[in-house]
Amino acid sequence: MKIRILLLFTFMIFSSSAQKGANSEAKIKAVFLYNFTRFVEWPARSFSSETAPFVIGIIGEDPFGAYIEQAIVGEKVNSHPIVIRRFNSIAEIEDCHILFVNLHDGGMIKQVVAHVSGKNILTVSDANNFAGWGGIIRFYSEESKVKIEINTTAAKAAQLSISSKLLSVSQIY
Amino acid sequence: MINEPVVFVIDDDIDDQEIFGIALDRASKNANCVFANDGIHAIEKIKNDESFIPDFIFLDMNMPRMDGSECLTELRKIPRLNHIPVYLYSTSLDAVGIDKSKSLGATDYIMKPSSIFELTDILKNIIKTKVFTALMIFFSISMIPQISSGQTDSISEINALKKLSVTELMNLTVTSVSRTPEKLTDVASAVQVLTRKDIIRSTASRLPGALRLVSNLQVAQGGSHDWGISSRGFNGAPIASSTLADKLLVMIDGRTVYTPLFGGVYWDVQNVLLEDLDRIEVISGPGGTLWGANAVNGVVNVISKDAKETQGIFASVASGTFAPGQAAVRYGSHVDSSVFFRVYGQRFVVGSSKFIDGTSARDEWHLSQGGFRMDANLSKRNHLTVQGDVYGGEEGDTLTSNMNGQNVLARFGHTISNTADISVQMYFDRAYRYFGSSRTSYVVNTADLEAQHRFVLKNKHRMLWGIGYRMLVDNIKAPNPTFTPASRTLDQINFYLQDRISIIDEKFDVTLGSKFLYNYYTGVELQPTIRFAWQFVTDNTLWAAVSRAVRTPSRFDTDVTSFTRVEHEKYVSEKVVANEIGYRFRPIQPMSISISTYLNYYTDLRTLDSTGSQLAPFVFGNNMNATTWGAELSATYIATNWWKIKVGYTYLNKKFEKTSPLVLQNHELIEGIDPANQFLIHSIMDLPKNFQLDLIGRYVDALPAESVTGLPTTPAYFELNARVAWEYKNLTISVNGNSLLSDHHTEFGRVLVKRSVTGKVMIRF
Repeated sequence: MKIRILLLFTFMIFSSSAQKGANSEAKIKAVFLYNFTRFVEWPARSFSSETAPFVIGIIGEDPFGAYIEQAIVGEKVNSHPIVIRRFNSIAEIEDCHILFVNLHDGGMIKQVVAHVSGKNILTVSDANNFAGWGGIIRFYSEESKVKIEINTTAAKAAQLSISSKLLSVSQIY
Repeated sequence: MINEPVVFVIDDDIDDQEIFGIALDRASKNANCVFANDGIHAIEKIKNDESFIPDFIFLDMNMPRMDGSECLTELRKIPRLNHIPVYLYSTSLDAVGIDKSKSLGATDYIMKPSSIFELTDILKNIIKTKVFTALMIFFSISMIPQISSGQTDSISEINALKKLSVTELMNLTVTSVSRTPEKLTDVASAVQVLTRKDIIRSTASRLPGALRLVSNLQVAQGGSHDWGISSRGFNGAPIASSTLADKLLVMIDGRTVYTPLFGGVYWDVQNVLLEDLDRIEVISGPGGTLWGANAVNGVVNVISKDAKETQGIFASVASGTFAPGQAAVRYGSHVDSSVFFRVYGQRFVVGSSKFIDGTSARDEWHLSQGGFRMDANLSKRNHLTVQGDVYGGEEGDTLTSNMNGQNVLARFGHTISNTADISVQMYFDRAYRYFGSSRTSYVVNTADLEAQHRFVLKNKHRMLWGIGYRMLVDNIKAPNPTFTPASRTLDQINFYLQDRISIIDEKFDVTLGSKFLYNYYTGVELQPTIRFAWQFVTDNTLWAAVSRAVRTPSRFDTDVTSFTRVEHEKYVSEKVVANEIGYRFRPIQPMSISISTYLNYYTDLRTLDSTGSQLAPFVFGNNMNATTWGAELSATYIATNWWKIKVGYTYLNKKFEKTSPLVLQNHELIEGIDPANQFLIHSIMDLPKNFQLDLIGRYVDALPAESVTGLPTTPAYFELNARVAWEYKNLTISVNGNSLLSDHHTEFGRVLVKRSVTGKVMIRF
């Protein structure tokens, strides 16, 4: 965060010279969300039909902008076309398969986690203690790189099976 | 040939490792890349793991500890790796090196490719996996930047990222800083950022109009081409083509544009193609530590997009009731995958306004401008920007004035690591202006060279320092000598150092810094600052700062001889000590709020003092002090994904104190005619069927009359600008209304700002 501020100051003097083709955090995370559809298996009953959509939901402010749509355009999970839904409140959360929780208030996150518990939903967030609050996947940054922490107990509870390939490169909570 | 080749890359450069990883993934879908950070690390790895037998080894020639040839010698001593092809590479090819490496047992010696595409080709040839050729062709097509909109570019970038493995994704360095205003919650100053979207989704057709969208600026239109723009007060009395506001530092792509003539900005000639802007950052409050000598009350930094992000053609034409014609065109393309450029041209014709008494102000004007920008990624770590503009225009007034200017700028940036970089910038700027009414011409040539270095010390200190030299040569020609001497060469040298110390990691930090500025008139000036930022809860930052900034004398303050006695050796810089406290937070997720308050003490403010002499009745002195205090509130609320609202409110109060009885009466009004309260609301709304509705409401308090320049009282006003647009694929058609609520109002003096409606067509492809 402090780097960010310093960078901001830097760029106020000289305009953005170091940002070309930047791998913005949002872009990388959007691609991760897409990748999760490849490394996680959802039970068949989480889909109402063979062609029912695979839903990636976002609650809180959408940090991805167009990136998430670009990442999933034309993609399918088996026979299920991937779609993006944005939710404005907890009550609005419908049946989805991946839920990106862009909230930072612990109380609200716990509410979201409680709301989706028992459903086959892969919850993903940036929040510091996300795994501790029962979330499944947390993005964190280490040396300006995006890393992943997985709460395997929560994944099991949601009846999701996560590929060992993903687990092997992630930190296990 | 080999189903799952293992490629071992020995390179000390993390970025090169990353490039290898991406290129290899493209060259062969099944290949696995294993990295070692240097020769010693590589040998250790091979010795520790008997089962590790790579299919290919790529070895960097230049590495610390153990270089490529030493490492090769060691590798060839290991029996199980005897037959493995080893490719040595380096940034340059020299015959001696090639011969030596071959004699040591290198399979080949290759030149380090400058692009991923070339490397992909090389790897493809080496690995010879023909099966994936089709895939690679797809890649090259999707990755070569095409003449297309930015969105397509980012789609291909996303596609490229999607092909990376999870491990590779995790190894990508996030290079982008927070560029959205929502993420500014942790910045310890009163910064507002105007994004391109904010600007495009407004009725602004030129830069001053865009600055109206920044709630912590006072923007007052004083005529067809005249604008007074200031922050935290001191929006000085209007003069031809500008106002006496002289405490704001304005930069366009790193080039300082306030005039050394009087320290203010000629807003009529500060034009940019709004379409190609990346953002405008506005800081209210002193920025003296890092910026120039004029950043007493604020800094406006206009930043245009990288040429890579403005590929393709953009064209717009507009016509309206006040500005009969505006046209702009831009063409962006590329030489290869690392060199991008754009050229643009624009012209506008603006009508004449009327005075309060109904007579014409005869201030119609027109201006044409063209320019270019080139951005080259010389290598992964080196970036070069070269850009320039040329403009020329003519303005009415009592007699015709004209102005023209040229500038060229080059900026080189070198990234040392994630937290360290160096940048060097140089520019030349010429600005010419002929004032018809006083038959005076003014030309100023500026040469500027700056360098900056940023690095982290012991994980706790984020250091930033820089040096700069600026030379200004001007010449003023007038029928009667108004300025003596007519020509001056002014040197400015500056040095600054800033340390941001992390006291409690991520929670509390202190920034200490100072700028040391040498200028022709007053010698060395010190501009220190201390800033505290305390993030007590995520997205809740409390900050405080004490800073000192100076406004060094301008030609106007020291050399005017037509009606003043010159005592420039006695004239000193104006100074401010600013105390600020601010709070940035998010009460709910989609809303960010920033509150800042300030208490500023100004000393040695410029005054016009009576001399008692008939010939030169006045002399400029420094006989006024002032105290200003106020608050700025701004909030952004993203109500839904189709509705964004920004609101801003500023309050300003001030008190002046004259330190000499000789000071002209009401002098404080020459220095600043400011509203006490201002309110702004900007609503950006996407409607169904590709329609957009954008509204801007502005309330500005009354301004007092000012007798010296004959300014009458300006009543308080509330005005509304509205934009309705329809966007279909590449085409945007909009109707823009300005000041819709009344037929006319005044903002700064005697000139009426009339209701106007403009139709605009834009096309991008």
